[in-house]
Amino acid sequence: MLWLKNVHLVDPGQGISDKASLLIKDGKVAKLCRGEKQLTEEEVLMTLGVSELKDVKQVDGEGKFLFPGLVDAHVHFREPGQEDKEDINSGSRAAVRGGFTSVLAMANTQPVIDTRALVEFVRLQGERAGLARVYPVAAVTKGFQGRELTEMVDLQKGGAVAFSDDGLGIQSAETMRLALEYAKLTGCPLISHCEDTSLAGQGVMRKGEASARLGLKGIPASAESVMVARDALLAGETGGKIHIAHVSTKESVWVIRAAKKLGIDISAEVNPHHLLLTDEDVQLTNSSYKVNPPLPSREDQEVLLEGLLDGTLDMLATDHAPHTWEEKMRPFAEAPFGINGLETALAALWQELVLKDKIKPEKLIELWSLNPAKRFALQGGTLKAGSPADMVLFDPEWQERVTAESLESKAQNTPFLEKELQGFPIMVWVGGKLVMKNRKIVEKQ
Amino acid sequence: MTKRIPKHKIMDADGIRRAITRISHEIVEKNKGTENLVLIGIRTRGVPLAERIQARILDFENVKLPLGLLDITLYRDDLSMIDVQPVIHETKVPFSIEGKTVILVDDVLYTGRTVRAALDALIDLGRPQKIQLAVLIDRGHRELPIRADYVGKNIPTSSREIISVCLSEIDNSEEVLLLE
Amino acid sequence: MRWRHKDLLDLDNLSAQEIELVLQSALSMKEVLFRPIKKLPTLRGKSIALMFYENSTRTRTSFETAGKILGADVTNFSVAQSSVNKGESLLDTAKTLQAMNIDLVIIRHACSGASEFLAKQLKAGVINGGDGQHAHPTQALLDFFTMKDRWGEFKGKKVLIVGDILHSRVARSNALGLKKLGAEVVLIGPPTLLPPEMGYLGVRTSFDLDSELPGADAVMALRLQMERQQSGLFPSLREYNRLYGLTRERIARTGKDTIVLHPGPLNRGVEISSDLADSVQSVIEEQVTNGVAVRMALIYLLIGGTSNVMA
Repeated sequence: MLWLKNVHLVDPGQGISDKASLLIKDGKVAKLCRGEKQLTEEEVLMTLGVSELKDVKQVDGEGKFLFPGLVDAHVHFREPGQEDKEDINSGSRAAVRGGFTSVLAMANTQPVIDTRALVEFVRLQGERAGLARVYPVAAVTKGFQGRELTEMVDLQKGGAVAFSDDGLGIQSAETMRLALEYAKLTGCPLISHCEDTSLAGQGVMRKGEASARLGLKGIPASAESVMVARDALLAGETGGKIHIAHVSTKESVWVIRAAKKLGIDISAEVNPHHLLLTDEDVQLTNSSYKVNPPLPSREDQEVLLEGLLDGTLDMLATDHAPHTWEEKMRPFAEAPFGINGLETALAALWQELVLKDKIKPEKLIELWSLNPAKRFALQGGTLKAGSPADMVLFDPEWQERVTAESLESKAQNTPFLEKELQGFPIMVWVGGKLVMKNRKIVEKQ
Repeated sequence: MTKRIPKHKIMDADGIRRAITRISHEIVEKNKGTENLVLIGIRTRGVPLAERIQARILDFENVKLPLGLLDITLYRDDLSMIDVQPVIHETKVPFSIEGKTVILVDDVLYTGRTVRAALDALIDLGRPQKIQLAVLIDRGHRELPIRADYVGKNIPTSSREIISVCLSEIDNSEEVLLLE
Repeated sequence: MRWRHKDLLDLDNLSAQEIELVLQSALSMKEVLFRPIKKLPTLRGKSIALMFYENSTRTRTSFETAGKILGADVTNFSVAQSSVNKGESLLDTAKTLQAMNIDLVIIRHACSGASEFLAKQLKAGVINGGDGQHAHPTQALLDFFTMKDRWGEFKGKKVLIVGDILHSRVARSNALGLKKLGAEVVLIGPPTLLPPEMGYLGVRTSFDLDSELPGADAVMALRLQMERQQSGLFPSLREYNRLYGLTRERIARTGKDTIVLHPGPLNRGVEISSDLADSVQSVIEEQVTNGVAVRMALIYLLIGGTSNVMA
């Protein structure tokens, strides 16, 4: 039983951005009261079906925002197989600390998630962690070999909500075409990691003046965009459902915009680091800036933001990719790709985009909660009465320095390490259960 | 560096000129002529002094002795004690010193360490028959068993004092000062 | 002008004056090379570690000779013999060097930034002996020394750098430094090896060697890696040689007493014809001699005193 008062509720699913009070019962939103009008004690007692107010936990959210829990369509939790980088428990802790109540865990583990047993393992480990809702994404092809399709129907029965060989691009157009056809049996989108490996070559950052200056091998923007174009056309031809992961080039945005106009069932996500950092920021001795797709040019960045604002791009996603310190403490070219994102993403975007008036809080939540929940047919994404009480109480004034010690993730490979950020979740509930309070995980009793 | 106050002038331009002339004569006299003699000035102020000796000897003997320049930086024994290494300059000895009598020329003889370094440097260039040392000022306080063969002037000093040799080729004046 | 750097990683953060200081010091060092006894006591008791993760007999020998002439103890961490092949990380190697109290580390590595990475970990000085496609400052400095030896100064001189600009750390470091010293630099190569992003260097680029030859004071040929042909970056040695190969006839078109440089090792008949490489205009052998002098100067500047960094 929970009575949340005086919050500023941002819920694009209901078109609400207003002062509100909420009552939570049995893990669901029982009542929502918007505007200046306050719930009376009698209303509270009646709605919650209790006789005394002391049985109701009350939280006064004056000056704070309440968001539906964020849904991250792209995380790597590394379990099974690479638990030294992250596991489902530590990843879940990082998720809720960052304001994410649902995550889609990618299949590029060891072994890759290509059987129902593995899908169920991931789901079960998520339940054991008991924090965020962990939705498995299963592989498109067996063993990520890019040839034979996985048993998508069985995988879906085991709990997979989407299919992806993310981490690798599917090089064969025919494999992609067949996968789009076959996935229709499930109704789940295919998430495409768009990367033409012949163009990407041995590149380690975006090809351009910055890569030339640093003497690092460049990945041309076309390594992504030609694959986006291919997959959009294949989705159009097959009538399949495609979701483009980590869009990072302006050409990709143009292609997706055109595809949507043609009525192709395509959606796309953008990673916060692609909106906040560019190839000019890359430092030779800091491999936290090494990520795939690589950090874009300033021009790309503007088009990406524009694409998010005009609806061409549907959602934000972290592509949370933890790596151990030892792996990242190597010369740039030898370090693995990836940025640890869950615990810094919301704050970083709040500080750099919302506070600088480049994006409205309402739009931010639409992109990070409502839209991904809809696209992957997940519960949550809104707080209308009857919805699960996945909620984030967000303090726009909260300032925090990102330190290795403070992170719940096992890894620290973030370019925001040792930086001060503003705007953090201070309480997070999943299904009405408080899982994070005052920036600390609420440990199981 | 703190500014030093001139205590007094030890030599003026005439004094320096006379000392050089005397040393030049002594060199020729002691070596019974100019045969086999070469002059090597130690950078920085040993170089103009050596040039002046060369000119003097040319005046009265009508012989132009070969002249070389020696930079001893790379031979200093105190390199690992100074914070930032000194800038090195070129050593230029465009003749063989094998079997020669080398007259090493410097401005001030003090601890003897510069001369020690110069001797090492010279020996790396070849094997002279003899090495003799000419200095404008000998101020004492030797830390090594080294002595000069030709001295312009002996000046007893305290180790806190500084001898400043100014030569017109390098400095704005021509004098030797005792500073404190 | 005094030297204030702990490391030499790149020419980016050297001023023209500092480059001149290196060249001036190298002049004194060069004199030592022609003595009967090529040995100085200067760095007695100092230790230098050579870590060449990429094969290079020339550069490694040059550094080794330079260190030994200055009297330092030079240790070769041969990649084949050290734990590098056993997978020891550069970080752990750095810690090992630190524990040995090495004064100076000279590293060549296939990864851009490897020397900077090491420099951040070590109290010892680090000289970049070539990192990936990023920088090769000692090669550039010896090239400058060789040019200065001929010209006296850089102002008004035109230098052509010809070949695989994209993959060349030599071209990058040369262009950066020559620009600072006041020379005009033109980078020349086929479009596949001279992509537009090389414009970051702020010097002129051209695909046409013949039109740039008139007035050139120096032409530097870069070594062409044969495997670039398999990668499709150029069609054949024959066509490459016709468009960009340096020959006596071509060099005659400069209308000047042009010098020809090459960082070595040469592909005779590919980027440079044999008769040109052995002609009087070629300063390729001088480059090798000067390389030792310049490296002596750098080693001296970096570890000649107690500490090479001013607080």
